[in-house]
Amino acid sequence: MSNPMEQFKIEPIIPIQVGGYDISFTNSSLFMVLAVVSATVLMAFCLRRRTIIPSVAQSIPESLYDFVAGLLRENVGVEGLKYFPFIFTIFMFVAFGNVLGLFPYAFTFTSHLAAVGTLSVISLLFNIGIGIKKKKFGYLRTFLPRGIPMVLAPLIIPIEMISYLSKPFSLTVRLVANMTVGHIMLKIIAGFITVAGVLGVIPFVFDAGIVVFEIFIGLLQAFIYTVLSCIYLSEALHEH
Amino acid sequence: MPQLDPTWYVSQMFWLVVCFFAMLFIMSKFILPRITDIMDKRQGKIDDYLEKARENKALAEESLANYNKAIAEATAQAQSALETMQKDLDELVAKRQEELNLRLSRQIADSEAKISKSKDAALAQLDTMSEELALNVLKKIGIGNVSRKDVKNAVNATAEN
Repeated sequence: MSNPMEQFKIEPIIPIQVGGYDISFTNSSLFMVLAVVSATVLMAFCLRRRTIIPSVAQSIPESLYDFVAGLLRENVGVEGLKYFPFIFTIFMFVAFGNVLGLFPYAFTFTSHLAAVGTLSVISLLFNIGIGIKKKKFGYLRTFLPRGIPMVLAPLIIPIEMISYLSKPFSLTVRLVANMTVGHIMLKIIAGFITVAGVLGVIPFVFDAGIVVFEIFIGLLQAFIYTVLSCIYLSEALHEH
Repeated sequence: MPQLDPTWYVSQMFWLVVCFFAMLFIMSKFILPRITDIMDKRQGKIDDYLEKARENKALAEESLANYNKAIAEATAQAQSALETMQKDLDELVAKRQEELNLRLSRQIADSEAKISKSKDAALAQLDTMSEELALNVLKKIGIGNVSRKDVKNAVNATAEN
C-alpha cells in the first residue's frame, strides 16, 4: 500500500530562482492556476449568452453570486457588498481548490499550510486595511474594547492581539486539517481496494461514497472559510 | 509530513498571491460585471413591470371610480325622471278625473232635466187623458150632459185629494 502522505508531496515542474528565493512552478502552483482557469472558464462559459430569463447554465454563476452576496449581507451588512469581489474570489478559489483536489492524480493545494496560510494572511491584511481606512486610529480600539478599565489594558491588549492574530491561524488549520484528513482517508481506503482482491469492491463502493461526501465537505469548508472571512470583515467595519 | 516541509513555502506563497490576485482581477473586471449587468437589467425589467402594474392598477381604480360615479349619476337621473313622470301622471290622472266628473255631472244634470220635462209632459197628458177617460166613462153610462169643465174640475179635485 502506498504512503497516503505522498499525495501531498510538492514536486517542482519549472524551477525558478529569484533573489535567492525558490519560487518554482510546482504541482501545487499548477493546481492553483487550474483553479483560476477552471473557475474563469466555467463562469465565462455559463455567462456567454446572458438573457433576462436565465438559462440553467446562466443560473449557476447567478446562484453563486446570490449565495455569496447573501453571506455578505447577513454577516457584514449592506456596506459589506463593496468588498464583494474579494469575498467572492475567496469562495471560488477555495471551493475550486478543494473540489479539483478530488480528481484522480490531482493535487489539493488547500491541504497545505503555506498556501492556505498565505490566503488567510491576505484576508487578515485586507481586513486590517479596511479597518484602518474606516476607523483610522480608532481601529486600535479592536485591541482594547470600550468599557474596559485602563488597569486591565496590559492584560487585555495582549489577549486581544493573540486572539486577533490567531484568526488566520484558525482559518488555516481548519481548512488544511479537513482537506488533509479527507484525502488521507480516501487514499487509505483506496489502498484496500487493491489488496482486498475480489472483496475490494466493498472499499471501492465505500470510497466512491467518501468522494461524494468529500465534494460536500470541500464546498462546506469553502463556505465556512468565506463565512469566517465575512465575520472578520464585519469586525473590521463595525465596533468591537 | 509534506505540509510542514519549508522547502516550498516561498513558492507556494508566491504562486498563491499571484493566482489569488489574478483571479480577483478576472472576477472583478470580467466575470462579476457581466453578472451584475444582467441582474441589474432583470431588476430594471421587474421594476418596469411593477411600475406598469401599479399604473394599470391606478387606471383600473380610476375607471372603477368613474364607473361607480356614472352608475350613481344614472341612478339619480332615473330616479328623478321616474319621480317627474309619476308627478305628471298623477296630475294627468287628477285632471282627467276632474274632467270626467264634470262631464258626468253635466250629463246627470241634463238627464235629470230631460226626465223632469218628460215627467211634466206625462203628468200634463195624464190630466187630459183622465178627463177624456172620465167623459167617455160618463157617456158610456149614459151621463152625457156633463161639460168638459166639470169633468176637469172633478179630476183636479180628485188629484188634489
